[in-house]
Amino acid sequence: MYFESEMNGKKYHIDVVETKQHWKISIQEEGKDWEFIEINKTDYKKPEAYVSFLYEGSSYLVDVVGSDTDYTVFTRGSYRTLKIFNDEMLLHRSLKNSGSMSHERELKAGMPGKIIEIFVKPGDAIKHNKPILIMEAMKMENEMRAAADCVVKEVCVKQGDSVDSGSVLIRFE
Amino acid sequence: MKKFKKLLIANRGEIAIRITRACREMGIQSVAVFSDADRDSLHVFLSDEAYNIGPAPSKESYLNITKIIEVAKKAGVDAIHPGYGFLSENPLFVKAVEAEGITFIGPTISNIESMGDKLAAKALMKKAQVPIVPGSDGPIETLEEAQKIINKIGLPVIIKASAGGGGKGMRVVRKEQELESAFRACRSEGTNYFGDGTVYIEKFVTDPKHIEIQIFGDKHGNVVHLFERECSVQRRHQKIIEESPSPSLTPEIRIKMGEAAIRAAKLINYVGAGTLEFIFDNQTKEFFFMEMNTRLQVEHPITELTTGVDLVREQLMVAMGHPLSITQDQVKQKGHAIEVRVCAEDPITFKPSPGQIRACSHPQGPFVRVDSYIYPGYEVPIYYDPMMAKIITWGENRSEAILRMERSLTEFILTGVKSNIALHKTILSHPQFLDGTYTTQFIERNFQVEEPEIFKIMDDKVFLIAAAITAYQDRKSKDVRQLNLVSHWKKIGRKLMMRI
Repeated sequence: MYFESEMNGKKYHIDVVETKQHWKISIQEEGKDWEFIEINKTDYKKPEAYVSFLYEGSSYLVDVVGSDTDYTVFTRGSYRTLKIFNDEMLLHRSLKNSGSMSHERELKAGMPGKIIEIFVKPGDAIKHNKPILIMEAMKMENEMRAAADCVVKEVCVKQGDSVDSGSVLIRFE
Repeated sequence: MKKFKKLLIANRGEIAIRITRACREMGIQSVAVFSDADRDSLHVFLSDEAYNIGPAPSKESYLNITKIIEVAKKAGVDAIHPGYGFLSENPLFVKAVEAEGITFIGPTISNIESMGDKLAAKALMKKAQVPIVPGSDGPIETLEEAQKIINKIGLPVIIKASAGGGGKGMRVVRKEQELESAFRACRSEGTNYFGDGTVYIEKFVTDPKHIEIQIFGDKHGNVVHLFERECSVQRRHQKIIEESPSPSLTPEIRIKMGEAAIRAAKLINYVGAGTLEFIFDNQTKEFFFMEMNTRLQVEHPITELTTGVDLVREQLMVAMGHPLSITQDQVKQKGHAIEVRVCAEDPITFKPSPGQIRACSHPQGPFVRVDSYIYPGYEVPIYYDPMMAKIITWGENRSEAILRMERSLTEFILTGVKSNIALHKTILSHPQFLDGTYTTQFIERNFQVEEPEIFKIMDDKVFLIAAAITAYQDRKSKDVRQLNLVSHWKKIGRKLMMRI
């Protein structure tokens, strides 16, 4: 499961995979290389209200308080607050950011996903907030709407296409 | 000789519990009072009786003299202990208590009055030949007067509200431009917090240490001192770490300070526990009287651990009319004690950060004392002081006490609220703390930086991994909930099946 995180002004990409016996975690601080960390589940246990985490030879008692995107992690008399965005939040954020489309003259996919339906064709004049297409990402269908009045120049995808994050879907005049 | 049967504690938090403990050990029934915000406070649970005294704001509860007296009469107490802060140094309260024939645990009204007014206190100290800081010899009414004094004694100066204390009602002026706003702020803080806008000016001793002497007097004219406490580790003019003995005093200066304190106490016929605070210049080894606190201090446990005297018990015994249990010759300083105040606050900005405690497990083990009032699930109220607990450790010598404190801080599991535990650990390993040269400017100089050391003591990944695993679990549990919902298609399918 993919997350983006912000802590102390730094940005991180994080991928979490759970297996029967392990947590497999990949972390990339923006601009640096990916790091892969494998944690045996016996090293990350929650026998109490808090977690006992054995990491690189050190024993930490950790308590994580999370709500929405804000997480606070307490350990060893210290704490940090960080932001965690899951797929759903990233998608919402990318949809919000598509407000920049009138500026950039194109609509991009904020997440990897599949095109379910397209409502427009080249030459169409679309009013603000009219639906442009439906994209499925992370098991959810999301309607993407026009952030401003615009005219469609090119439709770069077709129904059923799988698209990557950042690929151009529609270009505008 | 009187014997108290029942005592009311006009306070809250850890100090209320400290006093309850003394009462239990002496066979005295304890009566707690609490505000609406403190129904779930530990001092309520631990006392023999407990009464609500009003709404959360201190003014309407812990400072409400009428209400507290009313409860005291209803409960039928012999005595009232005010703890520290709140009404502990309020002569009106003492009068109201004594008017009901109840014993006030503390000094006499005249003791409090003579020391409560800082200007009058300075004059008395002069008489007792206790060194005082140069400054205005009386109150300052106007900005012009303030300017004159500054011309005479030079900058920097400190403006103080005569009735102030606890870090409120004082401002340092380093540049002439700062004078006007500092003068106004002190006057208004004096009026708002202490009901008295009188201010005075003193030469500001740059980079001093704060060293205080604990004294004790009884009703028979005996006075002893119980040596010093150094309280120079301060933020926002409030102490956060105290130790005894001070690493900066030689045996000769220690004796000189103790004797000066006794002269002062004897001059005013002081009764009960009191503390003379001194500014100490570590370069010249000079000391100047700053103020006298006519109450039990927050940091009294380090004196208890180094002298073996139970100060609260002694307070109660003196109030019952007993002579002091010790003579000066019998008071010995043994080993070294340190106290840290664990506060619910942001360790960088020092802003109070109240909230709900999640995990809470206090340090234990040899020579560790914890005076705390928090427990798992407890909500630290926004209305009062952010101090949650005091950890006090004792050692044969200073380094042993420090190591024991570091160990105790590591053992303290506390989550849910921001606290200064990590800051304390960083302070304890700082070279200036270790060599004992630290002054009251220590925190301001070394710990008010953008990214302090306290955030570098751990691998960032510990936080990221724990947050990511939690976020993963949160997200997954949400998906499971969604999957459990029967989809519309299935419902329609079932209906169709039924039709056939």
